[in-house]
Amino acid sequence: MTKAILTDVTRCIGCESCVKACVEEYHLGEYEKFRWVRGDGLSASRFCSVLRRPGRLYVRKQCRHCIEPACASACPVGALHRLPNGPVVYDKEKCLGCRYCMMACPYGIPRYEWESPVPGIRKCIMCYKRLEQGRQPACTEACPVKATIFGDRNDLLNEAKARIKANPGKYKHKVFGEKEVGGTSVLYISPVDLNFLFLGGESRTEVFPKLTEAAMHAVPPVFLAMGALMGGLWWVCERREKNMAKKRGPDDHRPPGNGQGGGAVDTEGDQAQPGGTANQETPGEEGPGK
Amino acid sequence: MTRINKFKAVMWFLVGFGAAVGIARFLSGLGATTNLTDLTPWGFWIGFDVMGGVALAAGGFVVAAVVYVFHLKEFKPISRAAVLTAFLGYVAVVGGLLFDLGLPWNIWHMIVYWNPGSPLFEVGWCVMLYTTVLALEFAPVVLEMANHPILGRIHGFLKRFTLPLVILGIMLSTLHQSSLGSLALIMPHRLPPLYYTPILPVLFFISAVGLGLMVVMVEASVTSYLYQREQETDLLAKLGKGASAVLWLYFVVRIGELAVSGELGLLWEGSFTSNLYIVELLLSTVVPALLFLHPRVSGSAGGLFSAAVIGVLGFVLNRTAVAGLAMQAGIGDHYFPSWMEFAVSFAIVAAAALAFMFLAERLKVWEKPALSPSDFSKAAPLLEPNGELWVPDPAAGIYMGRPARLSLAFVIGAALAFAISPSRAFESAEPVPSPARPALVSSAVMVIDGDRDGDFVQFEHNRHIAFMGDDASCGKCHHMRLPKSKAGPCADCHRDMDGQTDIFNHDEHASGLGGNKGCMTCHIDPYKPKTRAVAGRCFECHGDMVAKGSRVKLKNESFAVPAPSYRNAMHKMCITCHQEKAAKNPALKGLDQCANCHRVTPGASDPKHPDFVPAFKERYKAQDQETGHPI
Repeated sequence: MTKAILTDVTRCIGCESCVKACVEEYHLGEYEKFRWVRGDGLSASRFCSVLRRPGRLYVRKQCRHCIEPACASACPVGALHRLPNGPVVYDKEKCLGCRYCMMACPYGIPRYEWESPVPGIRKCIMCYKRLEQGRQPACTEACPVKATIFGDRNDLLNEAKARIKANPGKYKHKVFGEKEVGGTSVLYISPVDLNFLFLGGESRTEVFPKLTEAAMHAVPPVFLAMGALMGGLWWVCERREKNMAKKRGPDDHRPPGNGQGGGAVDTEGDQAQPGGTANQETPGEEGPGK
Repeated sequence: MTRINKFKAVMWFLVGFGAAVGIARFLSGLGATTNLTDLTPWGFWIGFDVMGGVALAAGGFVVAAVVYVFHLKEFKPISRAAVLTAFLGYVAVVGGLLFDLGLPWNIWHMIVYWNPGSPLFEVGWCVMLYTTVLALEFAPVVLEMANHPILGRIHGFLKRFTLPLVILGIMLSTLHQSSLGSLALIMPHRLPPLYYTPILPVLFFISAVGLGLMVVMVEASVTSYLYQREQETDLLAKLGKGASAVLWLYFVVRIGELAVSGELGLLWEGSFTSNLYIVELLLSTVVPALLFLHPRVSGSAGGLFSAAVIGVLGFVLNRTAVAGLAMQAGIGDHYFPSWMEFAVSFAIVAAAALAFMFLAERLKVWEKPALSPSDFSKAAPLLEPNGELWVPDPAAGIYMGRPARLSLAFVIGAALAFAISPSRAFESAEPVPSPARPALVSSAVMVIDGDRDGDFVQFEHNRHIAFMGDDASCGKCHHMRLPKSKAGPCADCHRDMDGQTDIFNHDEHASGLGGNKGCMTCHIDPYKPKTRAVAGRCFECHGDMVAKGSRVKLKNESFAVPAPSYRNAMHKMCITCHQEKAAKNPALKGLDQCANCHRVTPGASDPKHPDFVPAFKERYKAQDQETGHPI
C-alpha cells in the first residue's frame, strides 16, 4: 500500500500551482536568500519547484520519497524515517543538525534553515498528515491539468506504463523512479532523460543504504577481532619477553599483566631486541588491512 | 620562557578571536557565519575539525599499542604526552562539532535515539566511548599528583586496568577511524571515482596508524622546542621508520585499489580532482615515507620534524578532500571557507594547545617536569591572567584593570557586534539581475515570455482592444506614462524579470533637467537634505502618468514606489481581470486557471501558424545578442 505521486512531464504547463499549494499548505515564507540556495528552486521555504527545461518542458522537482531512503539510513538519530505508506518524514525533536542527510541524498533534496539560529531540515513530506485523513497531497490536488497525480504506487506504475504504451513516440520507454536507487515513490514519465534531477547529473542505480550496510555489518566482527588480535599479540610479546628474561637470568621481577611499573624506569632488558622495532609494529597495523 | 609566553600569547589571541566569532555563530546561525550552502552542507568544520581532528588524535592508540601491547618500553617516555594529545584532540573534535551542529544541545540524542545503520551513529558512539577511555588512561597521571588515600586507591585501581583499557581503546579507534571513511560510502554521487572506493574504511584506518605516529613526532618536537627539553631524536627516528612502513603499505593498498578497479588512468586526467589526488598522495604518503628512510633526515631533529609536518598536513588535506573538497567539481558548487570558519577552527586548535600546555606544566607528562618551579614565577606579567595591566602613559599611568577581564569584555563586545549586524553584512553573493524583455507585438497577438525560457504566452491584443471598447480602451490597461504615449513598454519601469526594481530613474531625470541645475525642480526646499522623502511627487509633474479609468493604480505617496518584477506585473495584470470575469460569468469558468494561458503555444503544433513561434524566437535571439542575455 505504498502511496506515490506520478508526474507526466508532457502534461505539465509550468504554472507552479503545485508550488503555490505547497507554500499555502505549510505557510512557507519568501524565497530563501540566494547565497544558500542553488539553482533548482528548492530551499528551506520551497519543498517543490518547477524546473524549466529546453524544449518547453517543465519538470517538477520534489523529494522522491525513496523506498530505501539514503537520508534515513544516514541520520545518526533516526530523525528522518520512512512511513509504511510511503512518505519519508522528519522529526525536528530528534535532529542534531549534522546535515549528513543532505550529504547522503542522491537527489540533493533536504534543505537547511541556514538563516535560523535553531535550524532544521526542510523537505517535502508528501503531506503525510493529509494522507492520514484520507486526502491527497496539496500539490497533486492543485494541479489544473492533472500532470501530477496521486495514488497507489502499483496503480501509478501501471498507469505510467499504459501511457507509454499508448503513446510510444512521446515518451522515453522508462518510468523514472521505478528502479533508480532502489525505487522511489515519486515517479515520472518524460520525453527526455531526467538524470539532471540527480545531484551530479548521473543516474544512480545503487541502493544507497546498502553501500554503507556492508561496512556497518563488519563493525562487530572487526571490533571483536581487533580485541582478540591485540590480546593475542600482547600474550605473544609477553611470553617472548619472559622467555628471554629467563634465558638471561633471574633478574626479571615483573609480574605478568602489570607491564608498566608506575612510570618507573624499566630494566634495560628491553634493549635485547635488535631491529625489533619495525618488525614488530608492522604486523599489528597490517592485520585489519588484509 | 619567552618562547613559551610568545607562543601562548598567539594562542590566546586566536582563542579570543575565535570565541567572539563562535558566540556570533550561535546568535546568528550557520548561514551568517559560514559559506556553506544547500549543495555543500559540510565544509571546513567537518573536513578539518572533525575528520582531520580525529585522524590527528590517532597518535594515542598507536603509541599505546606500541608500548603496552608490543612491549616496546623504550617508547614509554613519549606515551603519556601522546595519550594526552589524543584526549585533548578528541575533546577538540567534540568542541568543533558543537559549532558545526545546527542543534548542538541535542548531541546527547545519539545516546537515546539509535540508528545503528548510520556510520555517523557509530562514529559518535565510538568517539564518546574512546574519549572516556582516554580520560581513564590519562587519569592515573592526574591522580598520582594527589596525596589523598582514596584518590590513591582509585589510582591503583585504574593502573591495574591499563592494559584492558589500552586494548579497548585500540578496538574503538579501529572502528571509528575506519568509520570516518564509511561516512563517504553513501556519497557515490558526490565523491569522484578517484576517491570513491568501497575500501575507504580500510584506507582510513591504515592511514590513521601512519598519521598517528607522525603526529606524535610533531608533538614531541614542538614541545621539546617550546620547553627546551632534550629532543628524543633516536626514538623519533624509530617512529619515523615505523611510519614509513605503514605509509608504504597505505600507498600500495591505495594505488593497488585504483589499479584493480581500472581507475589508474584517471590520475592523469589533469582535472582539479586528479591534481588534488596527486598532490595529497605525494604530501601525505610518498614524500614523508621517502624522507623517513633517508639517513640524513632520520638523523636530524629538524629533518624528522619537517617530514612529519609534511605528512600531517598531507593527511589533513586528504581528510578534507574526502569530506568535501574533492566533491566540488562534480556537483557544480563552489565553496571556500569564510574567515569566520577559519577563526573558529584555529581557535579550537589553539585552545587544545593551551590546555595541553596547562596540563603538561603541572603534571608529570614527561620524565622531567616541563617547567622548573622558578620558571613559573618568571612568567611575563602581561600574560599572567591575574596580573594587572598598565597603559604606558608617561603622565599618569592609568590603571586599566585586569587583562583577563579586558579580554573577556573584548570577546563579548566583538561577538555582539557580529551578531547584531544584519545578515546582509555577511553576504557574499547577490542574485544576478536579469533585465526584463518587453513583449513582442504583432498585428494581432502579443507574445509575452514572462520567465524568459523561450516559451510564450500569447496575448490576443486585437481581441482585447475590441472587447474593451476600441481606441478609448487603451487606458484601461496602460499607464500612458509619457505624453502622447499609448503603450510605453512595461519593461521601462518593471526593469527586472524576477526582482523588484525602483520605478524612479534618477539619472534620467537629472540629465533631463539639466544636471545639477535641476535638483531644485524636485527637491524644492533648498534647506533640506536632498532625499526621496523631501522630493515632490511624480504626479506634480506627470499629470498624465496614469490614464483615466485605468486598472493600474499608482500610489501617490512619494517616489519610494517599488516596481514589481516584470513577471509579477504581467501576471497580475491578466489574472485579476480574468478572475473577476470568471467569478461574474459562469460560462467563463476556468478563465482564471493557469492552464488557460500557459498552454503549449499553439504555434508549435498548430498547422495554421507553422512559423509563428520560430519567427518570434529568431527576433528574440537577435535582441538577446544585442543585450547579451541568454535565451
